[in-house]
Amino acid sequence: MNLLNYVPGDSFLHKLNPVTKLLAAFLYGIAAIICGNVFAEVGLIILMILISATCGIAKRAILLTRNLFFLGLIMFVIQLFFVRDGEPLAVIGGFVLFTTGGLKSALLLSLRVIAAMLPLMLLFAITQMNDLCNALVKRLHLPYRYAFIVTTAFRFVPIFATEFHDIQDAQKARGVDFDTKNIFRKIGLVAPLCVPLLVSSLKKVDVSAMSAEMRGFELRGYKSGYKEYPFGVRDLVTVAVLVALIAITALWGA
Amino acid sequence: MISVKNLGFVYQGGKSAALDGINIEIADGDFVGITGTSGAGKTTFTFALSGIIPQKIKGDFYGAVTVDGVDTAVHPAEEFARKVGQVFQDIDSQMVASVVEDEILFGLENFGVPYEEIAKRVDRVLKDLGIEDLRDREIEGLSGGQKQKVAIASILALEPEVIVLDEPTGELDPESSREIFKILTDLNREKGITVIIVEQKIMLLCEYVKHMMVLDKGKIAFYGTPGDMASSIDTFKDLGINVPRVTELSASLISEKIYDGEVTLTVDEAEKMVRRILK
Repeated sequence: MNLLNYVPGDSFLHKLNPVTKLLAAFLYGIAAIICGNVFAEVGLIILMILISATCGIAKRAILLTRNLFFLGLIMFVIQLFFVRDGEPLAVIGGFVLFTTGGLKSALLLSLRVIAAMLPLMLLFAITQMNDLCNALVKRLHLPYRYAFIVTTAFRFVPIFATEFHDIQDAQKARGVDFDTKNIFRKIGLVAPLCVPLLVSSLKKVDVSAMSAEMRGFELRGYKSGYKEYPFGVRDLVTVAVLVALIAITALWGA
Repeated sequence: MISVKNLGFVYQGGKSAALDGINIEIADGDFVGITGTSGAGKTTFTFALSGIIPQKIKGDFYGAVTVDGVDTAVHPAEEFARKVGQVFQDIDSQMVASVVEDEILFGLENFGVPYEEIAKRVDRVLKDLGIEDLRDREIEGLSGGQKQKVAIASILALEPEVIVLDEPTGELDPESSREIFKILTDLNREKGITVIIVEQKIMLLCEYVKHMMVLDKGKIAFYGTPGDMASSIDTFKDLGINVPRVTELSASLISEKIYDGEVTLTVDEAEKMVRRILK
């Protein structure tokens, strides 16, 4: 399962203006960043999973949390050994390995990373990339060129993945064995495939650009979009709720 | 009318000419099938018709291509798309959106088609191609045949006078290939759109097109109706292009004076011929 794919739905959040969704994800991230309490941070993660459940993507939220957990773990380890304030907690032969301050800030930071990134990643589950970009162009007058780059990049991921598998299969047919447990050997086997992948990718991107140009890409302005993305009461409510969330975390969670 | 005069093209850094001294006139409402071995210049020729060559792909360009008197080398290619629509060979990479409806909207939005008109056109092309049910589907999850229809729909929405397709059935099964040809025939017959199609499946060409063009090393090796093929079977063999077996059969039966009718292009026609001979 691709963790960034769009999941169609009809929920309250699905129906929000794409711009509001993006803003909401950012505001939630800000709440997570200003939050200075480990329990409140865990609360924000749980809240996000509950919110996801209302859009029918709870399973995705849990999977993403698990994946982000590994990123959090890296942050945890780094913080643990580099933050030195507070009482020594682990001492080996007179050398202070880490301190209470280190443990506390490591725990907080790793949870913060998860809580701040989760809403942004879940955004893609309830927003069509095209809608998001079109709305940004239409409402915020973002140059279409940039919006197009972003949508195209997302769209090409599965195409390149297929291409990569094709190249790999061609190599397998000639007797290359990719099923090795040795990671270095695996890298050594996969690295040469990058050249054909790059060549075919460039060709594909070229056709894509030509196809877009031949259908008037250059003539497009922010007014061109056919679909309107009006803001409604639900957008206002959402932003108000998130501002309140930030206020609450700032008052009690800091 | 499309008029091609002394068209020649050498790709930048290319050693030999991709196209060399092409002269042809294609009337409005024609249905032309182009075939030939790979590297014969088929794609290059289609690019020259839509102005991609020499405007988007650089190289040495000779001669002139005009569509209704408009020079494709001079008139901005991106605007020209409303006159000559190009469907590219690579189905996946020519898409610009992830949802079918957005793909069809793209060109319409860009060319500033009025709001009310856009809705009508989207509905119409979806209906014309029989893909109304795909409207909100993600393109990635569609079959090859469905994707191809979406690609054609997105060009058709711009209401071009000429539609140029580069091996649209290349990755399709026989059933879907035939379906694409049927759709194109309907468009050609009912809306008078000129169709120019590059195709390897010679059986399909014989059955559906009005004129056939065979390219070889950048030159026209054959141009005529599918029926004219009978007299040039040797030319086709020399070029490594298979003539439908039914055509070959009827041509030899005619030359052996066993049969006195027309050459057959389809299996149905051949069946009738055999029945007549046996009577």
